[in-house]
Amino acid sequence: MDGETIIADIKKYIEKNIMAEDVIIDAATELQDAGIDSFSIVEIILFIERKYGVVIPDDKLVPENFRTLQALSSTVLELI
Amino acid sequence: MKLYDKADLPKKVRLSGADCFHLVLDKHAKKHQAGGNVMRKIIYFNNALCPDTINTVLQSSLLIHWLCNIELVPGSLLTIPYWKYADKGNKITVREHQHGVADELPAGILSRDIPVNADVFIDCDIVHYPSGNCSLVISWNHILMDGKGNSLLIKHLDAVANGEESKIASFFPAREKKPNILRYIINMYQVKKFVQDSSKRPISSVADKAVKSASSTAYKTIHFNNEKTEKITGNAYTCGARFGNTIFYIACCAHVINKLNQQRGKNGVIWLPVPYDGRLRGATGPVISNCVAFLFYRIPQTALTGIRETVKCISDQMTNQIKNKRPQKYTLFLNMMRHLPLGIYYRFINYSSRGVFASFLYTSTGENFADLKHLFGQQVRDITILPALTFPPGLTFVFLKHNNGLNVNIAYSPDIVTKDELFDIEQKLQQLLLNNYS
Repeated sequence: MDGETIIADIKKYIEKNIMAEDVIIDAATELQDAGIDSFSIVEIILFIERKYGVVIPDDKLVPENFRTLQALSSTVLELI
Repeated sequence: MKLYDKADLPKKVRLSGADCFHLVLDKHAKKHQAGGNVMRKIIYFNNALCPDTINTVLQSSLLIHWLCNIELVPGSLLTIPYWKYADKGNKITVREHQHGVADELPAGILSRDIPVNADVFIDCDIVHYPSGNCSLVISWNHILMDGKGNSLLIKHLDAVANGEESKIASFFPAREKKPNILRYIINMYQVKKFVQDSSKRPISSVADKAVKSASSTAYKTIHFNNEKTEKITGNAYTCGARFGNTIFYIACCAHVINKLNQQRGKNGVIWLPVPYDGRLRGATGPVISNCVAFLFYRIPQTALTGIRETVKCISDQMTNQIKNKRPQKYTLFLNMMRHLPLGIYYRFINYSSRGVFASFLYTSTGENFADLKHLFGQQVRDITILPALTFPPGLTFVFLKHNNGLNVNIAYSPDIVTKDELFDIEQKLQQLLLNNYS
């Protein structure tokens, strides 16, 4: 599993379930600026835990790790 | 400014499930004489706004035109209530006021109702203060629009002022998918059971059903400067809030209300519904219709021993409810309830809640206004929302962030909360938000 694949997985999930159709995001997009709120972060975490069979520990649940898809991917890579 | 074609406007817009729930709340507010179901947004400017400019912008907006030319068609057993549009030539009026007390609003604005049979469902007032500052007040009936919808409306008006185009389709709710009837019914029982379990007695509310309020809503705003706001954000994290500050805010409010309840000899569970925006994130619509579902938090006394314990209790419930798609299920439930005639719907809600809607109410605008620095070419100094007060409980906390500063607005009925109690609420809330947690 590489970072690019994880980014693509999470991006696909967000585009299908969370974001409006005309909002374009990439690996470096600030997710909060794109409209991602605290409820959506929970949904993304639940998706990551389901998809990769990991549990994100409390010390990893910091805003920096959810800022972009790139940051999320790095967090997942550290856990698998 | 671009002029739109009125022929593009929909003649009929069906009410969402949440809109119909607001119809019930509207009926309830009337019964308790607790004021109308009117929301107000106040935008403060450091300069005087030109009424002619505002008037031109408003008259150029097709959405404002629609809001001024609709009427509510009630539902029946076979039909869902809907807004019927017909161009009657109604226009929004921009009212100007002079007021001697800085940043306050004239009583006339606060007491003005916009009932369901109004000709125009949106009001605009400009209040001038002796310092040369002014405020723009937009008031609307909550049945039509939620807070997020209004922030999208403000963005649309700014776009109109800047000569930019808005997509009419984004103003209105999209056509609904027809759900499977069996799924509808199963969902209804699941949601009903979940809400009943969540709100199991004893619930301690700020007000109980026996109290009847005759006085209008009062408001108290607490401002936190940027430094204090930063400290509050740090405290939220220290206390275990991992998905933004909201859970920490709710926990602090729950402690404040629990203390008030205890002073009144009530020791029940704190129970509250918290709005959840059902729009896709980053969407520019819909502006019209309430798109909120709710998450329900039940906080027993055992979870009220400290802020950390409360944050954990709420956080676990939030995660579980999102995992189980409760907000989506609740939306489906509310959509189904639209088929009930209003009188039966009202009785059903009253019977299931036994007249008590919540311990208190809480709402947050999140980051909706965090970056609204300019509007109509003028610098925005501050923003406040005055919520429609649901009674009971008759007490609502609104948390709003603007320009890195936090505003907490407490809307209350003076018959429910005395002056001394309000002072205690303010003090305790500030103390909990700004405490030195380690």
